[in-house]
Amino acid sequence: MTQHKSERIMNLAICLLMSRRYVDKARIREVVEGYHDLSDAAFERTFERDKDELRGLGVPVETGSSDVFFPDEVGYRVRREDFELAAIEFTPAEAAALGLAATVWESATQADQTISALAKLRAAGVDPDPSRLTSLAPTIGAREPAFASIWAAYVEHAPISFSYKGENRRVEPWAMTSRRGAWYLLGRDRDKGEARMFKLSRVDAPGNRIGKPGSYQIPDSVDLDAAWARLEPASSDELASLAVRVGRANDLRRRARPVGGEVPAGYEALQVSYAREGDFVGEVCAHGADVIVLAPAELRRAVIAQLTAVAGGGAQ
Amino acid sequence: MTSADQVSRLLALVPYLQLHPDADLETTAGTFGVSTKQLLADLDVLWYCGLPGGLPGDLIEIDMDALNANGRIRLSNADYLSRPMRFTPDEALSLLVALRAVRELAGSRAGDGVESALAKLEAASGATALPRVAVAGGPESVREELAAAIEAAELVEFDYTDSGLEPSVPQVAPVRLLVRDGYGYLQAWSPERGGWRTYRLDRINAVRATGIAAGELGEPPEFGPGWLESSAQAMPVQLGLAPEAAWITEYIPVVDVRRSAELVEVDLLVADPAWLRALILRLGSGLRDIVPQEAAASARKAAADALAAYGAG
Repeated sequence: MTQHKSERIMNLAICLLMSRRYVDKARIREVVEGYHDLSDAAFERTFERDKDELRGLGVPVETGSSDVFFPDEVGYRVRREDFELAAIEFTPAEAAALGLAATVWESATQADQTISALAKLRAAGVDPDPSRLTSLAPTIGAREPAFASIWAAYVEHAPISFSYKGENRRVEPWAMTSRRGAWYLLGRDRDKGEARMFKLSRVDAPGNRIGKPGSYQIPDSVDLDAAWARLEPASSDELASLAVRVGRANDLRRRARPVGGEVPAGYEALQVSYAREGDFVGEVCAHGADVIVLAPAELRRAVIAQLTAVAGGGAQ
Repeated sequence: MTSADQVSRLLALVPYLQLHPDADLETTAGTFGVSTKQLLADLDVLWYCGLPGGLPGDLIEIDMDALNANGRIRLSNADYLSRPMRFTPDEALSLLVALRAVRELAGSRAGDGVESALAKLEAASGATALPRVAVAGGPESVREELAAAIEAAELVEFDYTDSGLEPSVPQVAPVRLLVRDGYGYLQAWSPERGGWRTYRLDRINAVRATGIAAGELGEPPEFGPGWLESSAQAMPVQLGLAPEAAWITEYIPVVDVRRSAELVEVDLLVADPAWLRALILRLGSGLRDIVPQEAAASARKAAADALAAYGAG
């Protein structure tokens, strides 16, 4: 059945693309292979489905009338300039980058979409060449169970509802980002009436559509850069004085500068900036005896308390 | 295979085959991500497609002899489908995410084409709110120096801190930069240890060129999903976390997580005891329970040593 249906829809697409005028249904039924033998009712049903299917594929099927005397007599056409991929050319270096893109996605659906986009470019004369950048192997995953439903809603601009940390949320998706392997959705939360960020791993189950594709607008005033910037760590404006064992704790040294001060033999005094005390206590403790807090006193007390908890076998 | 997928492909296949006369069946199937069987079914559909009216001269022509005899595809009489359809939003956004992932890894030197390719595609997509990708790939200068050494096939030396916070200064032949779960890695051959090693890019510091030729190297092993799980020496460990410490499960590779109101139980596979020691020290009293208990012994000792250094132990 698929083969016959594909034939009919292809022929319909070609018919609508080839006509400068709107083609009415009676004419379509007459000239497009596959509609002749259908009853009136079956033709209506089949044609409506085929037309929707073409639109679903992204074929811009326009409705209108070419008849000045009977403007109610609607017909259909596809404007070539709306249908065809615009002229686009790539340098060899750009084509190499495009070639690498084919293997990036780990999720099958998006990998297929990428391959399909690259096939279109090849059909337009571009030659994405993966052989030039063999030393690079970027990948992107999408293991969150809710990813597929939320990505589709984002792509189609369809409002969606999902359970987030046990609470039902109704969201108009604006944009998505993958940060350090985790996907985030930014969108307007209909109940809170403002923009919210959602981490997809905290969405409990796939989302449900609660409106039609394209049924909301992303406001022009939205500053996506500013929204995404909130995902980055807070600015580090607290300062700690540390005694760091020579040759250890390179990760801390990256944001440290040497200072004077008395430290045990084999240690050096460094000043390190940090953002939140809670996180920094854990970071310091992870280094054990390699990093000793000298000041501030509050941080020093917190580190000693945590080390005491671990040494006492907090896990008993 | 739905008919929607097939029609979408056919609309690209027709211009592709006109632009690539005498195309090879297998190559074409690969380009479109389908089997040769599926591609033959696609060509079967096209055989019955053409201009409205369906007269013999109106149909798309395919040279079936060339196809059956040599697996070559010759398609003609379809001038009106000479360009592919524009991207669907899903195609455009999927491709843009993939390219942005490429950009995250390629330094500006290795990937001077990435930036401009992205700009062209972003303009062509017509999309407004574009997806972002951020990879923990360390400083760009590190990636560029490694890329330069890969290109020159030379050994490099750098300061490295492993997941257990142990410092080292490996001298290796870098071969590939890759990304797994949002983190960038270097795959390299270690002449010292006579084996392949993987280093996280954001833990590499101060790359130094050595001028020593890397020599002939084979293919590095596949760094596929599950590389950690497959490690032979990995030890299963179960953590019981206070709910306020459960955020850690989003940042470490876990096998399973079970949540209740009072406790979050996490199953891990631990390949490196030093990594587990650092994790336990970091969690503090957020860690309520650990199985096996001995797994926490070295952390307890490290904490006691640290307390001694404070003079408070």
